[in-house]
Amino acid sequence: MNVDLSMFERFAVIFQPGDIVFCEYEPGDNFYLIQSGRVQIVKILGDIEKNIDILQPGEIFGEMAILEEAPRSATAVAIDKVKALEFNRENFEVLMKGNPQIALKLLKLFTKRIYDQKRRFMILTLSNIEARVADVFLMLAENQTTEDPDQDQRTFSTNVEDIAHWAGMSPVECKKILNHFAGQRRVEIYENKIIVKNINDFQRFVTSQRNKQKSE
Amino acid sequence: MPKAARYHANSVVYFKGDMNDRVYILKSGKVSLNYNDIETGQEIHDIINTGEFFGVKSALGRYPREETAVVLSDASMVSFSVPEFEQLVLKNTRIIMKMLKVFSNQLRRMHKQVRNLISEGKDGLEPEEGLFRIGQYYLNSQKYHQSLYAFRRYITYYPSGKYASEATTHMEEAEKALQGGGAPASKAGGGNSARNPAAQEELSDTAKSYYNAVSLFSQDNYQGALEEFRKIVQDNNSDEYVAKSHFEIGRCYLGLEQYEKCVQHYTQMIKHYPQHPDLRDALLYVGSCHEKLGNSAKATGFYNKVLSMSSENEVIYRKAKRALRELEGAK
Repeated sequence: MNVDLSMFERFAVIFQPGDIVFCEYEPGDNFYLIQSGRVQIVKILGDIEKNIDILQPGEIFGEMAILEEAPRSATAVAIDKVKALEFNRENFEVLMKGNPQIALKLLKLFTKRIYDQKRRFMILTLSNIEARVADVFLMLAENQTTEDPDQDQRTFSTNVEDIAHWAGMSPVECKKILNHFAGQRRVEIYENKIIVKNINDFQRFVTSQRNKQKSE
Repeated sequence: MPKAARYHANSVVYFKGDMNDRVYILKSGKVSLNYNDIETGQEIHDIINTGEFFGVKSALGRYPREETAVVLSDASMVSFSVPEFEQLVLKNTRIIMKMLKVFSNQLRRMHKQVRNLISEGKDGLEPEEGLFRIGQYYLNSQKYHQSLYAFRRYITYYPSGKYASEATTHMEEAEKALQGGGAPASKAGGGNSARNPAAQEELSDTAKSYYNAVSLFSQDNYQGALEEFRKIVQDNNSDEYVAKSHFEIGRCYLGLEQYEKCVQHYTQMIKHYPQHPDLRDALLYVGSCHEKLGNSAKATGFYNKVLSMSSENEVIYRKAKRALRELEGAK
């Protein structure tokens, strides 16, 4: 998308490498459009810093701030020297009128976020915790674009903490279930990847649990 | 090309699960979007009014339809491909604005629903504790800049929070580590490494007393803080901390409700430091002192001064604006 942003120069802010743009838990009232440099989105869980995403020029982040001053859900750190446009609810209308392309981009971003949240919610509604873990893999598989969709075996570059996070359970509890699956030879657990031997098997399992729950 | 189409009552425009990238606008008749609520499973029927779009989310997001669109009474509609739809709304930003509102409300609702399910676990920290923990994490991993950022934010949002004094202690540590020139300085080796260690010691002592005073302030001990800040100004060891302390002294007077002293102090400070980084905040405080002293004309003057020095998207601008509004309301 080629967009002329010269008129928004007055909203430009600069971050040096390593600078925090915003920190998880602080109230958020700005959102950003990256013009140059990269921004890393991280979450700190105990003693681990977990990479959520690395954003490139042209991408928007912190967009939840246009809704409400809710606490930030992750920390944004400048990787390079970053130039970004900083917007908030007050100047958003100006942005909209001057550049509807950005608004459209934001609209698309929201459709994706809504879908992702819904998908996540679907996992959490499963009462069977094994099915919940299996459904996390189904969700991850849906987001995999590179692999052959007909292939039964799938490899995920993920770990127990990640799976536990999505499944809404403690890593200990999640580990137990994964070990159980491993004992049944349905998964193989490695340090930085997990292999699901037959994704269709998980699909059948989750579907049957959903139907069972529906009829209850 | 946008396509016009007519549908008879009881026909279906699309089914849940369909992959289809068209966006519809209803011209006449009645259409219902049927789906099950994800939380309760209850069947929901959303009626589309004429002039309204539907099918937007799944088309733009390129995912399967989440609802079945059933025609209730004979209807005519126009459908657009995604690029056609984009062309249309780019010319009419009001539509985008409206949709952003609808979508953002949905997203907010989703976030809440997910949070409700998660909080049954033990995932969530209170924001106050969360912010403090992040500062600690960065301090422990020797990322002092990041740690300072998190603790500074903590002190800004929770000046008398339960970790306020711990946060100020940690800020001292982080500052010390940065000034002590941890890794990069030692890498340089010989050369200027012996450069006046005493001065550095002095500096971190000043920093220490400064954060000590900030900590007192955050516990509402304004008198104690005032004395500490004054001492820093008297000792005059660090230009930076002296300037910072001048600003804090004014805030102490404000806390002690000594408004005239506060005005005097800031007037002096502004004369001495016309470029003080906290100049606008100081003017704002002077305004509120005048307000407390019952001189609303002067207060208005100072608030307007702050407005004229800031741009609309700054926090200070909003603060001054709010102060003005409240002053108006009080009359």
